[in-house]
Amino acid sequence: MKAKHLFAGILSLSVLLTTVTACAGSPNASSAQSTENSSQAGTASQSAPAEKITLTFWNNYTNDTQHTMENTIKQWNSDHPNIQIEASSTENNAYKTKIKTAIAADSAPDIIYTWAGGFTEPFVKAGKILPLDDYLNDGTKDKLLSGALTNITFDGKVYGLTYNQQAGALYVNNDLFEQNGVKVPTTFDELLTAVKTFKSKGITPMTVGEKDEWPGMWYYDMIALREGGAQLCLDALNKKESYDQTAFAEAAQKLQDLVDAGAFPKDVLGVTRDESVAMFTQGKIPMYFGGNFDAQVIDDSLKGKVSAVKFPTIAGAKGTDTEYLGGGADALCVSANSKHKDEAVQAIKYLASEFSSGMYLTGGGLPEWKYDSLDQSKIDPLSKEIMENIVKGSTGSVPAWDLYLTGDDAQTHLDLVQSLFGKQISPQDFAKQMQQKVNKS
Amino acid sequence: MEKMLRDKKAIFLFTFPTFLLFTIIVVLPIFFSIHYSTLDWDGFSKGVFVGFTNYKNLFVNNTDGFLQSVANSLVLALISVGIQLPISLLLALILARGIKGERFFRTVYFIPVIISTVVIGQLWMKIYNSDYGMLNGVLRAVGLDSLTNAWLADSKTALACVFAAMLWQYVGYHMLLLYAGAKSISPDIYEAARIDGASELKIAFHITIPLMKSILCVCIIFAVTGSFKAFDLIYVMTGGGPLHSTEVPTTLMYTTIFSRYQYGYGSAMAIFIIAECLVFTLVIKRLFSNDQDEA
Repeated sequence: MKAKHLFAGILSLSVLLTTVTACAGSPNASSAQSTENSSQAGTASQSAPAEKITLTFWNNYTNDTQHTMENTIKQWNSDHPNIQIEASSTENNAYKTKIKTAIAADSAPDIIYTWAGGFTEPFVKAGKILPLDDYLNDGTKDKLLSGALTNITFDGKVYGLTYNQQAGALYVNNDLFEQNGVKVPTTFDELLTAVKTFKSKGITPMTVGEKDEWPGMWYYDMIALREGGAQLCLDALNKKESYDQTAFAEAAQKLQDLVDAGAFPKDVLGVTRDESVAMFTQGKIPMYFGGNFDAQVIDDSLKGKVSAVKFPTIAGAKGTDTEYLGGGADALCVSANSKHKDEAVQAIKYLASEFSSGMYLTGGGLPEWKYDSLDQSKIDPLSKEIMENIVKGSTGSVPAWDLYLTGDDAQTHLDLVQSLFGKQISPQDFAKQMQQKVNKS
Repeated sequence: MEKMLRDKKAIFLFTFPTFLLFTIIVVLPIFFSIHYSTLDWDGFSKGVFVGFTNYKNLFVNNTDGFLQSVANSLVLALISVGIQLPISLLLALILARGIKGERFFRTVYFIPVIISTVVIGQLWMKIYNSDYGMLNGVLRAVGLDSLTNAWLADSKTALACVFAAMLWQYVGYHMLLLYAGAKSISPDIYEAARIDGASELKIAFHITIPLMKSILCVCIIFAVTGSFKAFDLIYVMTGGGPLHSTEVPTTLMYTTIFSRYQYGYGSAMAIFIIAECLVFTLVIKRLFSNDQDEA
């Protein structure tokens, strides 16, 4: 009996201990793996004939846009038999850890996929990324849209080429608006009126996948942009301005006004982003604020019935309707330790420009490179609308804050916005806590 | 056999591989975690030694609701032992009596244990869905519209809803353990009891349950430690939300490490969970062995 006890005890303990400690070993494992990868790549390039080289390229292309990327890389490899690109894809969140580890250990690949802005800055500061200014005067800069390199420029130097950007848009279901005689809102007051009118007719006016937290953050960040303007938001994100001021508290108040007016379904805290998009694509919900990445699926199910419009402006606030939430997000960089810098830069010029048009054509993203030469009829109509109505002629943009803030701060921001949706904190406390917890250092 | 047990070399030969594996896979990572828990470390750059600061942040200067999450897991442990195990025991005793369809019911009750937790999570999410969920559907059908709720989206009901699903999932597991325990009792004892005129209830309370004490102890340890390290179903159903109302130490540890990149602080949580499980296992075993000595 005693032995049986002991055995069962040991068994149960060992099971739970392995579960609990399993995660602790992972950072070591990933760094070991990355060194192994790079050493493999190193031997591969050494053993190859002198004129033939291999460029390693790490990315996060594991979702449905990967086909565009794969085909582009294949095309490059068949065009350049002596400069072969060897791509390796890792799932999004794991990629963040993997690339940080590799860069810190000086075992980064030749070509690095990264997010422009806050994510890349530490690598640049550590001198791990190759500045590209000397390479871009061959006319490359003229092929890019204006502002495409803003978020990847640090201290006046360009460190990467962007190829895809995000933009927030208010999707409106024109059918529902017409049937109920509601005007598409251009000001926040009109938005509240529209919400109340739909509500009175038994239609849930908007939705958001707040279980996943970030979709709700898009609402807040957008309202904050309208309330405070792009410059103030960027200054706060860069810790040059306080969050504890009227604009950010007022934006929180506006979000709660929407919640109070019944803009969202009552189970909004339990809805995932996919479910919320589905509610909109089923034609049940008249308004949805999301990203350009939602355009394709909305187009598929509600072709021609939906427009993408600018988020309403707020009377008396600093933000104008020419600013948008988004901006350059995906970028390619070259490692400062790369043995084949010239070839790698040549490759990212090709890849970035091809990815840019490829993703625009398939509705997967908005371009950073000039797109006049593309067959306009083949472009996803809603993406085109976002590009023409919201991005073109804009005077400023702020990336979704979780791209700008890093790990802990981003999570704190997400949690605080969720508390706004759940009415757990007051707008003033929201602004105060943002300042205390995010801007503390 | 006896000869072999006296042979120290043989003992070493047979136990060493397991000992080695156990050390590498279980013991070493724990020590690594203990080390990590004293660091201020984001997971990739160099960690800075901060002593017990992480532990102090857990218990004294806590801001992320860790203590509430511990309280939640204690409640779960309590209802696992207080509600789930009695149900399992009842089912096990009934099945062990050799009722008609014994094998069929045994299989049916065990099905939730075999199904993947993700599937179970999805299943219960559909039951709780405020729009088309079965629970609200039933309430509407019987005219109790006022009681319908967005079960998992309401921070007041989410915890109870998740716990209900967890209890349901493991009833079959404990039932099977207890059933095996009940079946292993010699039928001679029952026969003797019946000849002496004992009722079924008396047999259950005075013969079956006392003789199942050791397996009951195992079940309670499993139920309690299982509650402390519960993660998967909660992660699937609510992810700790809404508004952190369904947070348990493991889900909090997950966000701390993988969203907030605080490996040191998260490791401190892991160490706490390990210590908590160890202490409770020892206490439960002590309680049972005292009992046995008296008897």
